[in-house]
Amino acid sequence: DEGQGGSDARVTGAELRFCKHRLESNPRADIISTVEFNHTGELLATGDKGGRVVIFQREPESKNAPHSQGEYDVYSTFQSHEPEFDYLKSLEIEEKINKIKWLPQQNAAHSLLSTNDKTIKLWKITERDKRPEGYNLKDEEGKLKDLSTVTSLQVPVLKPMDLMVEVSPRRIFANGHTYHINSISVNSDCETYMSADDLRINLWHLAITDRSFNIVDIKPANMEDLTEVITASEFHPHHCNLFVYSSSKGSLRLCDMRAAALCDKHSKLFEEPEDPSNRSFFSEIISSVSDVKFSHSGRYMLTRDYLTVKVWDLNMEARPIETYQVHDYLRSKLCSLYENDCIFDKFECAWNGSDSVIMTGAYNNFFRMFDRNTKRDVTLEASRESSKPRAVLKPRRVCVGGKRRRDDISVDSLDFTKKILHTAWHPAENIIAIAATNNLYIFQDKVNSEMH
Amino acid sequence: MECALDAQSLISISLRKIHSSRTQRGGIKLHKNLLVSYVLRNARQLYLSERYAELYRRQQQQQQQQPPHHQHQHLAYAAPGMPASAADFGPLQLGGGGDAEAREPAARHQLHQLHQLHQLHLQQQLHQHQHPAPRGCAAAAGAPAGGAGALSELPGCAALQPPHGAPHRGQPLEPLQPGPAPLPLPLPPAPAALCPRDPRAPAACSAPSAPPGAAPPAATASPPASPAPASSPGFYRGAYPAPSDFGVHCSSQTTVLDLDTHVVTTVENGYLHQDCCASAHCPCCGQGAPGPGLASAAGCKRKYYPGQEEEDDDEEDAGELGAEPPGGAPFAPCKRARFEDFCPDSSPDASNISNLISIFGSGFSGLVSRQPDSSEQPPPLNGQLCAKQALASLGAWTRAIVAF
Repeated sequence: DEGQGGSDARVTGAELRFCKHRLESNPRADIISTVEFNHTGELLATGDKGGRVVIFQREPESKNAPHSQGEYDVYSTFQSHEPEFDYLKSLEIEEKINKIKWLPQQNAAHSLLSTNDKTIKLWKITERDKRPEGYNLKDEEGKLKDLSTVTSLQVPVLKPMDLMVEVSPRRIFANGHTYHINSISVNSDCETYMSADDLRINLWHLAITDRSFNIVDIKPANMEDLTEVITASEFHPHHCNLFVYSSSKGSLRLCDMRAAALCDKHSKLFEEPEDPSNRSFFSEIISSVSDVKFSHSGRYMLTRDYLTVKVWDLNMEARPIETYQVHDYLRSKLCSLYENDCIFDKFECAWNGSDSVIMTGAYNNFFRMFDRNTKRDVTLEASRESSKPRAVLKPRRVCVGGKRRRDDISVDSLDFTKKILHTAWHPAENIIAIAATNNLYIFQDKVNSEMH
Repeated sequence: MECALDAQSLISISLRKIHSSRTQRGGIKLHKNLLVSYVLRNARQLYLSERYAELYRRQQQQQQQQPPHHQHQHLAYAAPGMPASAADFGPLQLGGGGDAEAREPAARHQLHQLHQLHQLHLQQQLHQHQHPAPRGCAAAAGAPAGGAGALSELPGCAALQPPHGAPHRGQPLEPLQPGPAPLPLPLPPAPAALCPRDPRAPAACSAPSAPPGAAPPAATASPPASPAPASSPGFYRGAYPAPSDFGVHCSSQTTVLDLDTHVVTTVENGYLHQDCCASAHCPCCGQGAPGPGLASAAGCKRKYYPGQEEEDDDEEDAGELGAEPPGGAPFAPCKRARFEDFCPDSSPDASNISNLISIFGSGFSGLVSRQPDSSEQPPPLNGQLCAKQALASLGAWTRAIVAF
């Protein structure tokens, strides 16, 4: 049964405030393709299919207007990637932003990595809110003064100005990948990061762009022998030597960079034996892992495949410790989902800050949350109709036959074009960002704003 | 899980996806194409097993037209584990177990059994024609009258005990091992071709002079060599002629079936049998000319050897779909050969599928290979990929993926 979570579940008492993504004339360009909070949660970055990055900043809470505390407004917008053409292979390289990862903040500036299929870029975001005035050699417009008119010296003074956010590309990490990049992950050492494509994972230094180290290579000698690809990868949040990567066969490999320069041999292999009673034409597709995330504690991993999310304990390789059904009612519809390509959708998953709740998206603009402690789950919808300001989100339910309640949605009336692939959870508070096609929804839990 | 689409539609849809991915913006998505190739393989397995079941059913219907004294031959076909109908073949259901072997789809296992069965019978049929002095071919006396009774000889001749005894195969109905004849796909050819009335047939087996419908003595009832009833595995095991029985020449006889024209060709060590037997030194052929059973087959040199490609698949997809029983070093007809001899039949869809099944037996690289060919016309998306286009681009498809 879907959508059981009642109003007493912490996360469902959510007050709504949504911020709509800016629309461009090209309707295709602003489908959101990635969402990521920074380490403090103050900034929220989104990337879209048109190669643009939009950064939102949370307004500081104001005592004067308690209801508008902590809302996110647009902070900066810039074009990160442009379409390119690989002449050697006659391939167009899409500008779609696949992933954004924030670097830990080390000074007043913020930095993030953004990547498309082939190229990773390091962007530096700086603020300017003061302007020097009173130059000796140039006037207010910047024109050089006639030296004969200069009779005295003055020290330029910094005067406040309207806040200006400047973004500049600091590094461009190009030509590292033959196949399509699917993930990037910053190491806890804050000096290196990795990028993964279908068959290889490279390790980069943030300051060096002309070379990278290949640390995983699963390309077979004969491409006819190809049986699986890398689908996602992430560094461990605390141990700078550990990283995990997931495969299209549903397995996870934990690798230790201390063991060897080339980490083809995993240190741990996490995989669950397939249930033979569930075998179908599409078994291979639905077992492919679309996302993997370490918990904040570093003890667990969260994976998403087409129908489930699973929690794995790093200490147990044989099977996940928890499995949650996201939308098992789709299991009988895999054929039509294969026809319309929905079966290839790559859903992401997210932990809350205390690792007690996990979240993932689904169809019909539904997203699901699972409380690991109470075992309660809830289905919520991100839609304009159901989102009056400060309205509490109502739990939704998908009925699969049997008794149908008034507001239930039947499986056959689900809109499969409305899919929530990208979600993000604030690192400390109960604030979530949901990307629904070209709209960004931000929900806050006002009732329980502190994470438990 | 039941799929609303049949295997053929799934194959068609999958091929369309792969083809359209080649023109999509951003280049070929390796992950997606890999997943589609898995669906293709799964659907192909089911399609093949369904085809064989269909052919098997057809064969049974032919048998049922025979006089009742040939009923025992129906038992001959009732190999243990053989499904009664094609419905048992699919949808894909795996037997339990976690290891690769256990995960082999039941349909595939049954397919092997079918292969075994047909190979056995066809070999015995040919054996009958080639050996002038059949060993106790009591079945000859019971030679069926009708042309369609070609196979009715088989149980009797299946009783033929190899001169030095059949080697113990260990397991019932496992693929022809250890010899170099792996998974052939025989189908009884047009009855006339192997009609026991053939004058070349051994004298003892020339009972076919009896008019059709005559009831030969029931001497065929119990094959001498077989200790067990027809339905027991022992029947086949004991009766299975060892490769060496055919003599040096025919030690690796392979009978292949063309799914499109249903023509059976027997191949010997890589040669068509008539070539082999044309040699005067061939010990297994009384005459220097090929038997009639092969005459018609010789007319068409097309060979289809899906068993081979299934083995190849499993070598490639290590552990993906379960281990294929080892087949030794099988005769490997050139895969390209069948494409050159492409003869469209009346059912373009079926021939498309058959040929495309052959294409994708060549592994994943046969599916994905970027063609920087902007002048290439996209295929007509009229439900089925045009086989000729698919064949024309085959060479391109098999190019290695390194350029991508």
